[in-house]
Amino acid sequence: MASDENLVGRLVDGDELALRELLRRYERPLSHFIYRHTGGRDVEDLYQETWLRVVRHAARFDRNRRFSTWLFQIAVNLCRDWHRRPPPDPALPPDSAANDTRPAVEARVDALRLLSTLPEPQREVVLLRYYQDLTEDEVAQILDCPKGTVKSRLHNALARLAAAVRGQEQ
Amino acid sequence: MDRDSPLARLTAHTADCAECEKTPLPLERIAAVLEATVPAIDAAALSRQTFVQLRSELQRQSLAVGWRRIAIGVLLSLLPLPLVLAYNAYLLHAVYDLLSSLLPAAVAAYLVLSYAAFLLLLFATTYAAIPLLMAHRPVGSRSVPA
Repeated sequence: MASDENLVGRLVDGDELALRELLRRYERPLSHFIYRHTGGRDVEDLYQETWLRVVRHAARFDRNRRFSTWLFQIAVNLCRDWHRRPPPDPALPPDSAANDTRPAVEARVDALRLLSTLPEPQREVVLLRYYQDLTEDEVAQILDCPKGTVKSRLHNALARLAAAVRGQEQ
Repeated sequence: MDRDSPLARLTAHTADCAECEKTPLPLERIAAVLEATVPAIDAAALSRQTFVQLRSELQRQSLAVGWRRIAIGVLLSLLPLPLVLAYNAYLLHAVYDLLSSLLPAAVAAYLVLSYAAFLLLLFATTYAAIPLLMAHRPVGSRSVPA
């Protein structure tokens, strides 16, 4: 099976199969990352923009790096730019299925709100380390910060989440 | 506990973090809340849509890269051309000198000019083949039906 890095190399030659394979491999982790980062808004646009940048800059991709790190770095930058725009009111994701059970929807909203209470740097660390199962080194590389910063951000995020969870229960 | 479970990841962090060790955190409750965020999106449909959107970009880029390769290939192949031409001119001159000492000058000139024309044709076809070869798509480069 071709490695991600190999597939990126083939993208440069316009290989559509390579693009399709990369999309298949990363559709879930990437779309879920963006969804959680933005609270479910503009996921489609950000997802497409991320891949557009991958295709456009594939020739410049350093094969010694991991593709996943590069991909999430692009996504993080796009999500950061998105957050700089004036935010609309917090709301349910637009495609919250009507046939969802009420408790599940509430739990989802609670979790999204909980995440949205975190400052952006802490939220990014939680999303990458907790949901994507990237190592602290990889997270540090994606966020372009030292590993120690990742650790302290994760600690602060957990402390905040713990306080929020305790607060919800009272 | 599953080593790769999200809770395990949190636990691994707290075990490694001096600050977290001091103040025990309700990791299971945090994990339970975070796990409740199952994104309500059809990732496969999103990918299909993205693929359709990016096809034209991929083709445009592939074309641009192809032209760049052709240009570089032609330029590189043209670099030694003056040297090759000079060497051939020297050879033709030497052959003419040799032939004209054995044959009438007109016949020697005819033979040398014929050979020069043949060489010219050879050069032209060789250099014309370079961009054609460069434009040839590699085997790994394939397209799929929409």
